Amino acid sequence: MRIKTLFASLFLAAAAQAAAPVYDFIICANINRNYVIGSKITTLNGVYIRDDAGAWTHHGYNDTGITAVAFDPRDRNVVYTSAMNGLWRSLDGGKTWRMCNSWDMTEGRDVAVDPNAPDHVYLAITDGVAVSTDRAQTLVRKENGLPARGKYTQAIKVDRTQAGRVLAACEIGIYLTEDGANNWRQVLATKETVTDIQQSPHDPAVWLAATQSAGAFISRDSGVTWQNLPGVPSDRALYNITFDVTNPQRFAIGSWAHGVLTSEDGGATWTARNAGLPEGHCVWRVGVDPEGRLYASVVKETLYVSDDFGRTWRRDALEGSLVNSFLLLPRAAQ
Amino acid sequence: MNRLPLFLLALAATVTLSAQPSFEAPPPPTAPVQDAGKRHDEYLKRVQEVLDWRAGRIDITQPEKHLDMAAIAVLLTRGEHYDVCSQRVIELMKDPGTGPFWMFPAVCVAYTGRDKLTPEAQKAIREAWRTTRQLRGDTENHWLMYYASLYLMAELYPNEPAETWYSGKSSAENLAESREYLVHWMDELTTSVGQGEYNPSHYIGEYAIPMLFMATWAKDPEMRIRGKMMLDWLFAELAANTLNGVLRGPNSRTDEGSAIERWNALSSYFSWLLFGNTPTPSGYGGWGVYFAPVAHNYQLPEVIYRIATDRSGDYLQRDRARTRRYWRYSDVLSPPVYKTNYLRRDYAVGSTQGIVNDAIQSHVWDVTWAEPDPRGKHNTMFSLHPHSSPKWMQSQFATYPEAMITAVTFEGKPSYDSPDKILGASPYEKVFQDLDTVIALYDIEPGERFEHINGFFSKDLVNVTEDSSGWIFAQGGRAYLAYRPLAPYHWIPYLHYNGGWAKEKLPLGGKLLVSPHLKNGTIVQAASVDEFADFAAFQAAIKALPLRFALDPVPTVTMQTLRGKQVTFTYGQTPVIDGQPLDYSKWKLFEGPYLNAEVGGRKMTITHGHLKRILDFNTLTITDQVTK
Repeated sequence: MRIKTLFASLFLAAAAQAAAPVYDFIICANINRNYVIGSKITTLNGVYIRDDAGAWTHHGYNDTGITAVAFDPRDRNVVYTSAMNGLWRSLDGGKTWRMCNSWDMTEGRDVAVDPNAPDHVYLAITDGVAVSTDRAQTLVRKENGLPARGKYTQAIKVDRTQAGRVLAACEIGIYLTEDGANNWRQVLATKETVTDIQQSPHDPAVWLAATQSAGAFISRDSGVTWQNLPGVPSDRALYNITFDVTNPQRFAIGSWAHGVLTSEDGGATWTARNAGLPEGHCVWRVGVDPEGRLYASVVKETLYVSDDFGRTWRRDALEGSLVNSFLLLPRAAQ
Repeated sequence: MNRLPLFLLALAATVTLSAQPSFEAPPPPTAPVQDAGKRHDEYLKRVQEVLDWRAGRIDITQPEKHLDMAAIAVLLTRGEHYDVCSQRVIELMKDPGTGPFWMFPAVCVAYTGRDKLTPEAQKAIREAWRTTRQLRGDTENHWLMYYASLYLMAELYPNEPAETWYSGKSSAENLAESREYLVHWMDELTTSVGQGEYNPSHYIGEYAIPMLFMATWAKDPEMRIRGKMMLDWLFAELAANTLNGVLRGPNSRTDEGSAIERWNALSSYFSWLLFGNTPTPSGYGGWGVYFAPVAHNYQLPEVIYRIATDRSGDYLQRDRARTRRYWRYSDVLSPPVYKTNYLRRDYAVGSTQGIVNDAIQSHVWDVTWAEPDPRGKHNTMFSLHPHSSPKWMQSQFATYPEAMITAVTFEGKPSYDSPDKILGASPYEKVFQDLDTVIALYDIEPGERFEHINGFFSKDLVNVTEDSSGWIFAQGGRAYLAYRPLAPYHWIPYLHYNGGWAKEKLPLGGKLLVSPHLKNGTIVQAASVDEFADFAAFQAAIKALPLRFALDPVPTVTMQTLRGKQVTFTYGQTPVIDGQPLDYSKWKLFEGPYLNAEVGGRKMTITHGHLKRILDFNTLTITDQVTK
């Protein structure tokens, strides 16, 4: 599938509008149901960006395996996607791409760019972490301090307050580096995989993490120590966790088993918000857009959206999609 | 001419065109062809049969219906219809596929057509490799196909810049990356610690075809010899693990069909083509057609042919392999797997010991008996715990707990979450084998998805007898079989998922022994009918053997085998044979009368009678010896 449009064109058009929101809302979606290697890709998959009219527009390559997208804050034409092949990079707004990793890195789970050192790119992979210091022209493993086994890394996030400060969500816990991945140390031990980790858009010291077997956690000291969120169930896997950029007290969790869980008091209490979602409410991911609307990607269904943080739901576009990640991208950084 | 004769002519033509002589004819003789020239001529005739059959299915006036990439490669090989092929290539390249199963057919067309297709068609192929992102996949066979294909295309179009490739890497970069992986796969994995996808019933094509392409088309002589040596390696292992051309268990990966109708697999296509000792599967195995256009460039070494066709003596082969990659929940990325294979003229017994190889498609052990005509025959017996587990899925796949089971049942593995399935490995199954005795013990954790075991009893067994001793006796072909369930059981009909995308189960005959007990076990012993005066004598011999077993606290068996060995096997403990513990850690990569290799050695010695071939990946040399 050829390139449809350039990432940059949307950003430039949006930036020209005086009343534009401060964030762009971006998702990585796999719409091709039941794709298996060797079968035909029949739909557009990959990065979608919502325009100001609320429509989702596909950008870049058609790839069923894209798990996350990240941008260089200095230049939106520099785009990174983690995907089944590993890490892809575009330097021209999605017109051309390069598979950046060597053969021995596979199945990129997440990608992050250091906003304070934008040449530095971090890739979460199935057996650890790879790092680039040259805009992904080269990638090397940097795993000193990660365990020999148990370093399956599902998510990776850079602390926006400090260059080289990164948290990795791994099979046996959360690991922190403060020197650009030269050294890692465990800051939270878990029985099974940490499925997501997020930094608050309101207070950079506040972080949230979701896990497969131990509920969710919050850190109020920049990820150094973590406290369990007691109201979150721990019997089944939580797939992701998110903040609401419009309200520092609002968090949401997506879970196949529990559907959508929300908190509106900073994580003290949690409520299941599944009324109006399809029966079974198998939620793959939740996300919150720049206006505080809550989105839920429901397996084998479509994207659902709620204007009242989960109390009521309505169907959105992208029938059949599985959203692998939601991204709020600050426009101010253009 | 009126309409009726025209119709009849068309019908007759269709039947003729679709004839598959070696699929439809009586089975070929299994006796070896002694004359080397005749043997090679027959091989080339079989190759030609594939090409003729595939060409015969083509209505050249309807290229959009009849010309896929296999058909184009065949026509180009035969020197036919270059213009139509060129036009069709241009059409096909407008909507290329995305992954290794598209890449290697595209390589086949690109190379067979490089001096035959029009410049426009060749340009269309080249353009597709620029515009369409190729997914590398997540299995060993995916990666081998991906990198062999990318390697050959990068050699075909050298010195081209990064922007002309989907990967965004230059020809030189693509070539270097591909070469690095291919050499790693050969030197560090397959010839050192074994394949993860060992003895695959279907995926052997996904290895053999790219290696043949490499052996034929690589410009770099090192990669050509590597391709050729890998073909020998793969086919030597196939030869040593087949019974009259039929691959038996264990298999790293197979499917429901091949697990019971042992012959019905792509591996049988290669046995037919190379050894000539079994019928080819329908359609020449599908993917097998891609081997044919360049099959003339491979000649099976006589020593491998002899191994494949000689079942005059019993032999025991003990090998090592490794599992699929464990991303999670394991202390080792690819733990070792130990294979025991015992082959006789009338039957074979095989098993793996160790951790689960593949969460979905492994087949751990069986007894497979020889059939004069294996087509349609369910010539096998085995038991298993039908294991279905999100956690085990997650250990080998980058996925979430609930998603994978739902997805996989729609992705070609429909039985994965069925209680009556007959495919897959379980962490709660521990297997011991000595010659033609297998003990499979089960200690299933309470709360597991399925808390029972299944034993497969084929429709082709005769004289199935539930003896008051607790043994179940039966005969399959010329093999007497004794099956001892260690816990109470009941019978249900066997229902079969006919293909990877099947939604309904078919009653093909046969039944399942279902034993709904967490602590459980199966003992199977086999013998040739020639060894006993009659079936009753076999039963008496089995019943006379000392046997003690207990299921609590863990299943344990102490017995004397039909071959006189004193065996003690306790679930989770090292088996003891005649007082000696079985030390798997000392097992070699290959050890037996025919195949031998050291772990880490990168060298296989293939032996039969006076013939010896040494494949040495350290020196990239093939050495043939004839001993006195």
